[in-house]
Amino acid sequence: MTRFSIDIWGEMCPIPLIKAKKKLSSMQCGDVLVLETEHSCTSRGIVVWAKANRYIIEEKEVANGIWHLELTKTHD
Amino acid sequence: MSINSAFHSQRKWNIGFILFLTLLLVLLSQISIHLTLIMALGTSLGFVLQKSRFCLVSALRDPILLGMTQLTRAFLLLLGISILGFALVSWGASQRNIPLSLNVFPMGVHTVVGGLLFGIGMVLAGGCSTGIIIRIGEGFAMQMLAFFGLAVGSVLGERSLKNWRNTFGEWPGIFLPDVFGWIPTLILEIIVLSGLWQLARWWQKKQLGE
Repeated sequence: MTRFSIDIWGEMCPIPLIKAKKKLSSMQCGDVLVLETEHSCTSRGIVVWAKANRYIIEEKEVANGIWHLELTKTHD
Repeated sequence: MSINSAFHSQRKWNIGFILFLTLLLVLLSQISIHLTLIMALGTSLGFVLQKSRFCLVSALRDPILLGMTQLTRAFLLLLGISILGFALVSWGASQRNIPLSLNVFPMGVHTVVGGLLFGIGMVLAGGCSTGIIIRIGEGFAMQMLAFFGLAVGSVLGERSLKNWRNTFGEWPGIFLPDVFGWIPTLILEIIVLSGLWQLARWWQKKQLGE
């Protein structure tokens, strides 16, 4: 199990999600992708997308307007 | 620990802003109750919009880009609720003989051209008009630029509307309840919305292969 992270700071939807999708396809099952964003809709969008794709996602608002996301790749 | 301190410092700001807003409302109420109500309604609308994290752009863009239709369906639900709410308001107004001024605008080529321009613009800017204003409040510099574009575009559109109408002509705007009556219109609209809902669900299932 490896932890990956990509820089999506300051990016607007839908770019973070497209980047996450790209990164995810190069990862192994069980790997974790760590994302941090200050864009409320981006965070929401990634959570909804991950749930629709049946990945495990944890969302935490670590400070006012900053979201920390951990996405586990559960299947290919 | 810098993250935790960010939380605390924000809390102080929140209390400060609440105090400031309350004082502003009290001050305004000395001048005009009407203005105070508008200000209070505007502030609460903005608050709800920001907290809901609802994104019209995402609702219209994600089905095509990502194959997701959750927000699209939420948007359809929103339309359904506002149709019912609007019907209630109109019914209440007609019971009390209050005239309603409706914004039923004529359609034409300019509607399509304007819609396309706005659609391209909102995907690039990452926000519709309210979305842009919310994100300016959240502190995004890019949206300030987009807001400038929105203002310029609106003024240009408003100024050139006459030319568009003269060149391409227009069709009169249709207010469905005037044509069919209220009950058939409501039934028709709910049927169309649920049809779109089913279509959106089918699209997501097909795209995500569930």
